Amino acid sequence: MASQALNSSTQPTDVYGGDEVSAIILDPGYSSIRAGFAGEDAPKSFAPSDYGVTTEGTFLFGDDAIHDPNANLEIRNPMGKDGTVEDWDIATQLWEHAITSRLTNFKQADPRKNGLNDDLSDAVLEMETDGDKPLEEHPLLMTETAWNSTKNREKSIEVAMESWGCPAFWLARNSVLAAFGAGKATAMVIDVGASTASVVCVHDGLILKKSVQKSPLAGNWVSQQIRILFEKAEPKVNLVPHFMVAGKTAVDSGAPAQATVRNFKIPPTASFRALEEERIITEFKESVVQVWNGANGHLYQEISQGGYKNFDSLRSQPGRTYEMPDGSNQMWGAERYTVAEGMFVASNTNEQNAGPTLIDMIKASFNATDMDIRPHLLANVVVTGATTLMNGFVDRLNSEMTTMYPGVKVKIQAAGLTAERRFGSWMGGSVLGSLGTFHQMWISKAEYEEHGASIVEKRCK
Amino acid sequence: MSQSGVSLSGDCVSKFNELKLNKKIKYIIYKLTDDYKEIVIEEASEDGDWEAFREKLVSATQKNKAGKVGKGPRYAVYDFSYELASGEGTRSKITFIAWSPDDAGIQPKMIYASSKDALKRALNGLAAEFQANDEDDIEYQSVLAKVSKGLA
Repeated sequence: MASQALNSSTQPTDVYGGDEVSAIILDPGYSSIRAGFAGEDAPKSFAPSDYGVTTEGTFLFGDDAIHDPNANLEIRNPMGKDGTVEDWDIATQLWEHAITSRLTNFKQADPRKNGLNDDLSDAVLEMETDGDKPLEEHPLLMTETAWNSTKNREKSIEVAMESWGCPAFWLARNSVLAAFGAGKATAMVIDVGASTASVVCVHDGLILKKSVQKSPLAGNWVSQQIRILFEKAEPKVNLVPHFMVAGKTAVDSGAPAQATVRNFKIPPTASFRALEEERIITEFKESVVQVWNGANGHLYQEISQGGYKNFDSLRSQPGRTYEMPDGSNQMWGAERYTVAEGMFVASNTNEQNAGPTLIDMIKASFNATDMDIRPHLLANVVVTGATTLMNGFVDRLNSEMTTMYPGVKVKIQAAGLTAERRFGSWMGGSVLGSLGTFHQMWISKAEYEEHGASIVEKRCK
Repeated sequence: MSQSGVSLSGDCVSKFNELKLNKKIKYIIYKLTDDYKEIVIEEASEDGDWEAFREKLVSATQKNKAGKVGKGPRYAVYDFSYELASGEGTRSKITFIAWSPDDAGIQPKMIYASSKDALKRALNGLAAEFQANDEDDIEYQSVLAKVSKGLA
């Protein structure tokens, strides 16, 4: 992650339209917060939304702080399950940390005293006692989900104006920004993130409210399926996070692990362990999990003799080996296709049916739009969100959609660069915020003071 | 106003009205100025050859923020005529095209997409509209099918 944030050599020397406003783009999500200056190619600050609480009740933010197994941290997340904010007090502090730690207060300094090696509780205190408001010189462009509530939108401008002292503010829909970034004003945006998968139709830069569909079948749900897979595997996979392992020796595939486990005076909390386990699962998701490509129907297409046509044919294919931090390893064959299948096809075999599948959502979203624009939507499908980077995801989506709408041109636009897919909405915001002409769109502090927080509803449609 | 705040230069609309009323001009290509502040007319032509028009869109360029010239998006209005398949005569539809090649940079694409509304809303009397993102999208046959809704 840090390499993303440190890539600062590309800072633009000339800014679009000539108006250097040093606007900050903030794109908060369920799993991570993306923040950076408008006009740059990638967010300089990429911080986890998870934060740690010490036994004394102090909050620790950022990747540098929350992965310490000795700190006895309780790990929490201020975002609700649908990607909107639940705990505003924490969210405000967390976002402020994401911005100030890397953008506004960030100075290259001697490594002996640049803060990274300091006792972190001091840094937090210092930030709190800092009297000035952190963003007095930076207009702020924030992204929001298509289903954000009015209350939350007003709270956003309140935080920006009152707590951070921003001179100007704008709230943009992340699906619209993703569509703009792909060069489209009309598009069907399929966004699969950590907590939520959504399908939103955008027409001429405005979201169509009726077409907004969301579902919890996203990245975190896939992680859950991986846990179940580990649980059911033969032999059962023991999920031991890196911090527990002191040393290991190589073992054969399927053999029990030969590792020495570290002992802690105070054992780390369950939520901390879950956070660390999630890192392994993420790695597993990136390297082993495969989405079935959808040729010859879905994975569990049944055949008359019993059994599953596609799933069974995969059994003869070579698998992939994955080694756990404790050294145990095994081959994952056809099973690696099973975890993501439920995102596309409702399963009748187990408890996977936690929400509408992507296919259901595309249908529902599509049917809620006007007849005239439907062909345009199908010809302009924009795929964004980090979970769409799973191997084979876009191929499967393509095959499902062509089957669903035969005879119509379906064209899926998915950025090839991983950064563009992960930071799609942030990058759209970065371009918008850096436009010289955009400064007339901002809601200024004066306007906010005159009309109050409700102005955000009138201006940011 | 568009979401990007980009404005139109004065002759954008008047030229369009000329196309609409005098029926001499066949197409107008619009572009954004290099500082991305204003939409201006790049070319207005009386030549009705679709291939020449298409070639102009395909070879359009735009400077990105580093000053490098890459492929560029455009807006275009084309007075598109076709014969009805049923033999009921000729129809002509003024068509708005938002051309944004997939291999153009994210910056120009974003700005064109977010500024499209400013131009489109100012032009009254558009009969059809579509977005085109690769060269296939602006092949004569595929445009004909889109504009005529299969009636040609």
